Amino acid sequence: MSILFYSVFLPILGGLICLLIPGRIKIVKEIIALLSSYAALVLGILIFRSGSAVFVKDLGFLTGFLKIDLDLRADSLNSFIVLFIALFGFLITLYSLKLMPGKERSNEYYAYLLFNVGAATGAVLSNNLLMMLVFWDIVLLCLFGMLSTGGMKAASGSAKKSFIIIATADFLMLLGILLVWYMTGTFRIDVITKTPFAGDLKLGAVAFLLLACGALAKAGSMPFHTWIPDAATEAPVSVMAFLPAAVDKLLGIYLLARIVLNLFAMVPWLGIILMFIGAFTIIAAVMMALVQHNMKRLLSYHAVSQVGYMILGIGTGNPVGIAGGLFHMLNHTIYKSCLFMGSGAVEQKTGTTDLEKLGGLSKTMPVTFFAMLVAALSISGVPPFNGFVSKWMIYQGVIQFAGSPATGGAMSFLSWLFLVAAMLGSALTLASFMKLIYSAFLGQPVNEPEGSTPVKEVGWTMWVPMLVLAVLCIVFGVFAQIPLRGLIGPAVQLKFPGVPEALRLSGLWSPTLATVLIFAGLIIGYIIYAAGKGTRPRTDVSYIGGEAPRGDINRFPGTDFYNTVREMKGLSGIYRAAEKKYLDFYEWGIGFLKAIGHILFYCVDRFVDWLVVGVGRLARFFSWILREVHIGALPTYLAWCLIGFGIILYVLVR
Amino acid sequence: MMLIYVLCMILFAIGIYGIVVKKNLVKIIISFCILDYAVNLFFILIGYKKDGIAPIMMPGQDKAQFVAQTVDPLPQALVLTSIVIGLGITILMVAIAIRLYDKYGTFDVMKMRKLKG
Amino acid sequence: MQILPLFIAIPMGAAFVLAMLLKARHSVVDILANVVTAVLLALSITLIMTKGTITYEMGRWAPPLGIVLVLDGLTVLMLLIVNLIAFLATIFSISYMERFTAKAKFYSMFMLMLTGLNGVILTGDIFNMFVFLEIASIASYVLVAFGTEDEELEASFKYMVISSVGGLFILLSIALLYAMTGTLNMAHLSQIISSQKSGIGFLFTAALMITGFAIKAAIVPFHAWLPDAHPSAPSPVSAMLSGVFIKTLGIYAMMRVLVNVIGISILGRAWGIMLVLGAVSMVIGALLGLGQKDYKRLLAYSSVSQVGYIILAFGLGTPLGYLAALFHLTNHAVFKALMFFNAGAVEYATGTRDLEKMGGLSEKMPVTGITSVVGTLSISGVPPFNGFWSKLLIIIACIQAGRFSYAVIAILVSVLTLAYFLKVQRLAFFGKIKETLSNIKEVPVPMRVSLIVLAVLCLVIGLDAFRIVQGMDSSWLVRVLLNPAKEVLVNGTGYVSSILPK
Repeated sequence: MSILFYSVFLPILGGLICLLIPGRIKIVKEIIALLSSYAALVLGILIFRSGSAVFVKDLGFLTGFLKIDLDLRADSLNSFIVLFIALFGFLITLYSLKLMPGKERSNEYYAYLLFNVGAATGAVLSNNLLMMLVFWDIVLLCLFGMLSTGGMKAASGSAKKSFIIIATADFLMLLGILLVWYMTGTFRIDVITKTPFAGDLKLGAVAFLLLACGALAKAGSMPFHTWIPDAATEAPVSVMAFLPAAVDKLLGIYLLARIVLNLFAMVPWLGIILMFIGAFTIIAAVMMALVQHNMKRLLSYHAVSQVGYMILGIGTGNPVGIAGGLFHMLNHTIYKSCLFMGSGAVEQKTGTTDLEKLGGLSKTMPVTFFAMLVAALSISGVPPFNGFVSKWMIYQGVIQFAGSPATGGAMSFLSWLFLVAAMLGSALTLASFMKLIYSAFLGQPVNEPEGSTPVKEVGWTMWVPMLVLAVLCIVFGVFAQIPLRGLIGPAVQLKFPGVPEALRLSGLWSPTLATVLIFAGLIIGYIIYAAGKGTRPRTDVSYIGGEAPRGDINRFPGTDFYNTVREMKGLSGIYRAAEKKYLDFYEWGIGFLKAIGHILFYCVDRFVDWLVVGVGRLARFFSWILREVHIGALPTYLAWCLIGFGIILYVLVR
Repeated sequence: MMLIYVLCMILFAIGIYGIVVKKNLVKIIISFCILDYAVNLFFILIGYKKDGIAPIMMPGQDKAQFVAQTVDPLPQALVLTSIVIGLGITILMVAIAIRLYDKYGTFDVMKMRKLKG
Repeated sequence: MQILPLFIAIPMGAAFVLAMLLKARHSVVDILANVVTAVLLALSITLIMTKGTITYEMGRWAPPLGIVLVLDGLTVLMLLIVNLIAFLATIFSISYMERFTAKAKFYSMFMLMLTGLNGVILTGDIFNMFVFLEIASIASYVLVAFGTEDEELEASFKYMVISSVGGLFILLSIALLYAMTGTLNMAHLSQIISSQKSGIGFLFTAALMITGFAIKAAIVPFHAWLPDAHPSAPSPVSAMLSGVFIKTLGIYAMMRVLVNVIGISILGRAWGIMLVLGAVSMVIGALLGLGQKDYKRLLAYSSVSQVGYIILAFGLGTPLGYLAALFHLTNHAVFKALMFFNAGAVEYATGTRDLEKMGGLSEKMPVTGITSVVGTLSISGVPPFNGFWSKLLIIIACIQAGRFSYAVIAILVSVLTLAYFLKVQRLAFFGKIKETLSNIKEVPVPMRVSLIVLAVLCLVIGLDAFRIVQGMDSSWLVRVLLNPAKEVLVNGTGYVSSILPK
């Protein structure tokens, strides 16, 4: 089936053409980029429709010599991921048309973007582990290239950092792949699937963890996450929306799902390791997100935090959990891309992503506001949006894992702990997104400096992708059975045949019904609100002793969100006292959490960062010590020899 | 008999002590020679036999008696080689020590520390 | 097999002839030396297809009384490596040694060193091994001091004292072995030792042996002479010293004596000390390399670190471990020789070894620049170059033997290695060229030839090794050279049966 081949190489060809076209004829470049990403999307749909396809091409010398062949196979797990890679490729291309022109080096940008689509498709479709790694590393190189197109001085620094972290993980992955080869004698995923290797469990566990390292680093989970927030502030926002939020997550979680579903037979304790990483990532990253003031940085910490859910879900190793993890991956790419795009829109129109300098954008940028609001509610796991459904499934997976007889007492206890962590993480996500939405879009507008152009809604090429994604959030939430049956179910069936029945969410939750109920609740709420409208207090310009109000002093930036919450209008006096107490408690609690967030930020995040830098320093320090020891004195050197002889003699004769 | 071995080992120890502790190039070379002699002596002692005769077989000598009486000739041959090697090294050491004295103006090995780190 | 003594006779004869040609034109000397090494390389290539073990009785004295030369798989591999590097080193010397006055003396000493190396490899007599060891060592003392500047003399003296003490340790252990067994033929020795029960005597002997060979191989903590001596020698000699000298005199001799003669079963659990020595060498060598400013000194420390890898793999004692050790030994000979040639080329062109005084050399010296990138990638274990495969095998061997912590150390040191070689690349070859260096030129053709041959070898061995993914024997190198060599070690004290026919 040559559509597989075209779906990989058409975008790459388009990218090459884009690279060759001189930068001046921008419009041709944009058209080619758009066309080839559209073609990729169509091919993605075709592949998904066909469900399974095989394309094997002998690479002559390479195959005979190195056992690398171009062996592309679509199955139910990777075909929907291909579809989504292509979809995001297309949407981002569309979105970039307006965003990129101002930036430096934008002529390379589309090439990297298209290479990325092709290589990511190739990595997902590859049936040969070595070939997968080749594509995988092309994605890495493109990431490096795209991050460095940021044009800022620090961008190349953060690009280098990302490169080193991920390249190290890829090296580990290579070791893992070779270990798998060592144990099974083949690189072909389908062969390995059919003949699961028995025997050396230790070696298997090492191989599993090495491969998982590669997957986790790509997905940006802790402890490989520090590059994401650093990159976020400096890279172009469309890059962030495309790579760390979408493609890298898809790839990383795909690989994780692949090794859990196909390559290895999971043992509970390996699952526990994954789940621990997941739960820790959720809590730690969300705490750090709470204390960020930069929109992009905040979003990128959430990108880390949400990976935790996926890993948690997949780590359970049971159908519901894995399905939840995969579904969450899908949902996350949707809403996180939408959020990044929104922040890009805000940045383009206001020139900043610093939350303290933003406010009141809901009036001037309504579409962006709507899309961001929907996405924010989704990521926080508020019903009826898609994030809720997938999180709910993950919780169920964890509960099943805890209750299954294979897990002993301690493991069961741990997984209950993970469940609590995941739920708490969800609540904290909501808290931090309330801050984001409120301070950027609600609250007081920023006082425009004289003569600056007023903020407007962004152009259609930018808001259409956002809107599409926002609508997807709602659709996937309300009609969750559609993606679950159509996309996720077949994938999970790879390992657990006949499972779709089990995938039916157990009793408590029916998205459609819940949606109706929620809307009913909203309507009732509105009626109450409308009925009470008459009692609304009067609003007026604030009186400050006769002086003209000065915005920069009197403005309340949205980061003072929790103070503002206290002054929310429309609450009657009866509730005020109670509310105050509640608020005090809330403040106290939030303050406590913030403190933990700060501690975590400095102790974990910066610590890991410091570790990367610090290991280098430490090595140089030891090097210095050792060099000081080599004083150049012959008697000293001879003494070392004698001491060495003494030690050897002792060990041997002992 | 044992005493000779012990003395030989003491010689060895003296050599080691000198080579590690002494700072003067000449003394280091002398210590090395002592070390070399100690090992050579040890080798000779292996072949030594009390009241042994030289391992040269005279015409008409009884073979069994000769084997019983003679000292082991092999270590002697080996020691000759070893002495030559030791001589070569000693000569080279002395030559380089002289050159070093020209360059550094001293025999103190602690002052020859341009190479370090 | 009449060919075997030629490996010793030809270079030794050449050494004396060359010593008499002090007044001859340089071109004559060059041609003679290169022809000799080329012939030796050709001879060692003809040996590749030899099957089984071949012995040659010197002076037709039958073993165990006479001295035998032994050719088995391990010997073939070592001979090939040594003579290959020697050939390339003499080619490199044609231009490089022009600035020294006594070229004939240099070649004479070089040949003497080669005699010693080939002798150590071939001989089947343990005292004979010691003699060749000392011949090679004395020649190397002279070569280290060849420049007769103060630093070179100083390095040579320190090297000489430490290394000679190591030699005496070996001699003492040989004396002890003779005292306990009454023979010097290695096969006969191993026969007698395996029939006796192991006592403290053998352990003491083994400790002396390990120490002596460890000094020759520059394993931490016996390494201190190496970073002084190797950089001080002229670059072709540095390449020989780091590439093959420490491996032949240290590692090969240690393997041969410990595995084939004494037998590692005597040592029992204490054999684990090799793992510790290897790991310590790896880590300390790499850390020290990280802080160096002198190009060749950095390479020398990296040799300490890489020798650690070999010793680690050797110490595992599993067949895969032996294979990985021999493979890494081969690869290290190739890429470390390449890197020392690179350093020599840079020194030749710029007149300095200080990395901080260089910069942007790739611009003016493309061949040197590219080959040094190849060397860097090889030594840091980046696929598809050869270093990757041997390190991979070492890591797999560690995991297979259940030594996970050593596998982790091996990976970490590999990262460190990449770090300090990237530093070399960045300081010396990348970036903008310094104004003081704007007049430099690419090195002459003979030097370039050596560089290119070695760089191509790095890639070819790497690509060939890639085929191990189809099974170990798919790779030519593994099948033809490494496996027979490994078998000799795996066979252990079974060595005897092939030499002393019963």
